[in-house]
Amino acid sequence: MIDTVILQQGTGWRAQAEVFDEIFFVFLALGTLIGTIVVSYTLWNVYKYRDDGGEPKDDFDAPVVGELPTGQGGPKAKKLFLSFGLSAIVVISLVVYAYGILLYVEEGPDTGDEGDIEILVEGYQFGWEYEYPNGHTETGEMIVPADQRIDIEVTSRDVWHNFGSSELRIKSDAIPGETNSNWFSVSSEEVEAQGGEATYMVECFELCGSGHSAMKGQITVIPQDEWEEWYAGTGEENANGENATSIDGTTAGGVPA
Amino acid sequence: MSELPPTTSVKRWLVTTNHKDIGILYTITALFFLLFGGVLALLIRVQLWDPANQVLSGLAYNEAVTAHGLIMVFWFLSPFGFGFANYFVPLQIGADDLAFPRLNALSYWMYLFSGVLLGISFFQGGTLNAGWTMYAPLNVPMYTPSIGSTGAVLALAMFVIGVTASTVNFLTSIHHSRAEGMGIMDMPMFTWSMLATVWMMLFAFAALLAVGLILASDRVLGSVYFSATEGGSLLWGHLFWFFGHPEVYIVFFPALGAMLELFQTFSGRRLVGRKWVIISICLISVQSFLVWMHHMFLTTINLEIKTLMMATTIGISLPFDLVVFSLIYTLIKGRIQFTTPFLFAFGALLLFILGGITGVFLGAIVLDYEFRGTYWVVAHFHYVMFGGATALFGAAYYWFPKMTGKMYDELLGKIHFVIFFIGFNAVYFSMFLGWETPRRVFEYNPAFQIYHQIGTIGAFMLGFSFFIMFYNFAKSYVSGPDAGANPWDYSRTAEWAVPSPPPLENWSNRPSYASGKLEFVKDYVPDGGPAVKTDDNGDVATDGGDSHSAHIKEYPYWDKHPSHASIWPLALSFALGVLFLGLSGFHDNVVFELGESLASTTVTISNPVYPILTVVGLVGLVASGVKWGLEDFYAPPTEFAERWPFNGVEKVKLGMWFFLASDVIVFGAFLSAAIFVRYNAGWRTWSPLTESLPGLINTFVLLTSSFTVILALVAAHRKSRQGVLASLGATIALGFTFLAIKLWEWHHEIYDVGVTIAQNSHGDPIQASIYYVTTGLHGIHVVGGLLIAIFLFVRAYQGHYMEDERPIEYFGLYWHFVDIVWVFIFPLFYLF
Repeated sequence: MIDTVILQQGTGWRAQAEVFDEIFFVFLALGTLIGTIVVSYTLWNVYKYRDDGGEPKDDFDAPVVGELPTGQGGPKAKKLFLSFGLSAIVVISLVVYAYGILLYVEEGPDTGDEGDIEILVEGYQFGWEYEYPNGHTETGEMIVPADQRIDIEVTSRDVWHNFGSSELRIKSDAIPGETNSNWFSVSSEEVEAQGGEATYMVECFELCGSGHSAMKGQITVIPQDEWEEWYAGTGEENANGENATSIDGTTAGGVPA
Repeated sequence: MSELPPTTSVKRWLVTTNHKDIGILYTITALFFLLFGGVLALLIRVQLWDPANQVLSGLAYNEAVTAHGLIMVFWFLSPFGFGFANYFVPLQIGADDLAFPRLNALSYWMYLFSGVLLGISFFQGGTLNAGWTMYAPLNVPMYTPSIGSTGAVLALAMFVIGVTASTVNFLTSIHHSRAEGMGIMDMPMFTWSMLATVWMMLFAFAALLAVGLILASDRVLGSVYFSATEGGSLLWGHLFWFFGHPEVYIVFFPALGAMLELFQTFSGRRLVGRKWVIISICLISVQSFLVWMHHMFLTTINLEIKTLMMATTIGISLPFDLVVFSLIYTLIKGRIQFTTPFLFAFGALLLFILGGITGVFLGAIVLDYEFRGTYWVVAHFHYVMFGGATALFGAAYYWFPKMTGKMYDELLGKIHFVIFFIGFNAVYFSMFLGWETPRRVFEYNPAFQIYHQIGTIGAFMLGFSFFIMFYNFAKSYVSGPDAGANPWDYSRTAEWAVPSPPPLENWSNRPSYASGKLEFVKDYVPDGGPAVKTDDNGDVATDGGDSHSAHIKEYPYWDKHPSHASIWPLALSFALGVLFLGLSGFHDNVVFELGESLASTTVTISNPVYPILTVVGLVGLVASGVKWGLEDFYAPPTEFAERWPFNGVEKVKLGMWFFLASDVIVFGAFLSAAIFVRYNAGWRTWSPLTESLPGLINTFVLLTSSFTVILALVAAHRKSRQGVLASLGATIALGFTFLAIKLWEWHHEIYDVGVTIAQNSHGDPIQASIYYVTTGLHGIHVVGGLLIAIFLFVRAYQGHYMEDERPIEYFGLYWHFVDIVWVFIFPLFYLF
């Protein structure tokens, strides 16, 4: 539970990718450790107690055909419950730890009153359509600002899809008749590092028909000021009956300063 | 009744009802489907060799993915385990055969013909391509229009019908035919695992049957359940995974049972904490029904339910921990023999540990969010399910000497294991490394190409390794050394106490554990009377124990030999296959144009083949059903048996209760679907489509008919033929009255109100679908009941049932059940 405390104290938000990396690392480390111990212990014992053709030990009580089955008790049963108890403690603490993180992921960072941008994502055979608060729609490429919490509302026009980006570690089922909420945010440092424009591949993670494999999209993150310019332009062009599809503002009509 | 021909005759294998023959048929058929599904897997792997490779088109790839999943889960894993269960459960519990030998044959033939239907579906414009999970609404004809898609759905429905028969059979056998002195805690672990498996199957497969029937109705009759936006997609998710999660354990438990046996046999040690392992197995079986929504963490279910499901999911991993530790500790201080069966069982344990650990990852919701729909899931469930099945290959080597009387080649077996194990990990561990690849895609991120290429190489190794096994088994069967009755040093269970292969009726004298170990008792059989239990001095025992001697005397056929052959299971299954084949193309080739009235309805048939097949299948089904009922087939009840917790319940009645329990789930699923969809649509926005009066009259009609069935039973007890005929006649008349009112009501709805299965003039179309499909399913139950009632009526007229009224009693159980269902349907569809 320590980590949730840190999350709340922290100055910056933690993106889902960051949260995922941490919890995945913890699980992977513990899983590998326990798996290695259990498997090595088993292999060692199987080797140690192999039938080498020698005389059976005195306490070896060979079973016979037709006996009514009985179990082994004694020290081994004690060991059984000890191991069981240990494994229960490990598993339960892992899950309690994971639950704290789940609450953060479900809620998302607190942004106060301002700042959230809500985008409707609609899956269709075979692509994605994004609708912005001003009614502007894009297909394929979602253009969003950095340093901002982006809320997505995901649904589907036809069959069950799943909207996901592996790099951003976000994923949502897109189900006809249902609306699913999720969020993500990308820092301006990240955008800077990728040369002023960060792009993330979007894939469909639920089999949806013949074009499922190729059902890709893209999330493009640009600095806030650039995005605001672009977004204002979309409203204007919508009014002119045109769609802006490019982020560099070269479409006819220009971008108001 | 016909005699059973020798094993060299083809006819033998068509008519046999013997559990060992059927076990062999199951095993060989399942191995065929392993090849079928395996070839599809290799096609998938070839496509994945290169991220841009296109050996198959998008649709063909999806078909391969779907059919591979369906075949491996349904037509290979479960039936492979059931092959061994058929052969060895009766031997392990000391029974002569399963409780209902003809039903057992019926299950097998339905399994085979359902597989044939699935094969045919490839040639009906392409088979289903919606994935083995068949998510809605991709599974409806608008998105998967081919006839073959419907064919695959119907093949699955037929498979499930056969499974239901098999489940009832095993439950009755294990609860009714255990040898004297074998209490329920004394059963061998393989039998224990199978008992837990069939209990889960009874309820889980009923849910699958319900969801399969609803889907078949959407595809054949045109109802609109799964295309409805009022929760249609989520309805599929809930019903499918309510089945789907227990299914994981259903395919794993037979393998677990084999592991538990093999670990003991090849270490010479008894199971550590045996009682606790059994308790864990029972706990898992119950808990398996409480975790299904962890397959739906990314749908719109709320946080509270997700949290609950996370807790139950972690909860179910704990009993598994105990079982795994028990297996490991059992080996300690043993004399472990590295035979081929042990290598496979031990390999299965290692694979399962890895599958289990990666499963805990999936239980943490935050991780599941990212693993959803990726190769992590694919890798995990292959490690669990196919890893488990690894133990079943061990079981195949373990029991091969018993089934054939010949010993397999140990060296070839070990070579098989080594190649298998390396190939297995190459193909599935590489999936963990490239886990970010979405499932069921072939155009993937080139960064993962190396992992997918390793996987493809591993897959071919894995596939090749099985040919070593086939060669080994074939060669050993022809020219292997004789195995003897018991080739293993530390075997314990009763199948090793009889010759290899065992004789037709398993035992020469009655097996008994009354003294605490297996003994063969020679019962005193008085001339012209049933066997009587004797004590050591040869005197007739008077304590009676748990024997059913009093009951046995009521059997008019006690002096007959047990029957082992019947052609009607084959005939009935074939007819059902033909019927389903016809139904698969029905919707595309028969078009109903509703006119103003019934008379002006036009029917256009574009291709007569499918409707003809439908009719032929239906006629064949009824005809072979009647022949089945008339056949003089004798399956003797076990005379002295342990029956806890069903002491004193007669065999057929017990079977009937099990069947009705599964039917409760079927109707429960239909009614839950109705409630779920209505809740999603807004409960109060719907009002009943029909007037309540016809429904009310029908309620009285049905309840009265229940009463007349009781009268028939009383009359039979008093040996009054006229009483039986009058009461049964009244039941039949009331049943037809019910159907007539129902048909009038439907006619009124369709032609006067304008409500059909897909159209609703005053509301959501889905409401009309639910009304017709749910009351229709009930109507089919009434029709089935009437057919049986007419059969009983004719037989009563011929003078039957005066000595033995039990058939009337069992029909009564069914008929009361159908009436009780109506009591639930009436308020939901007519009042509120």
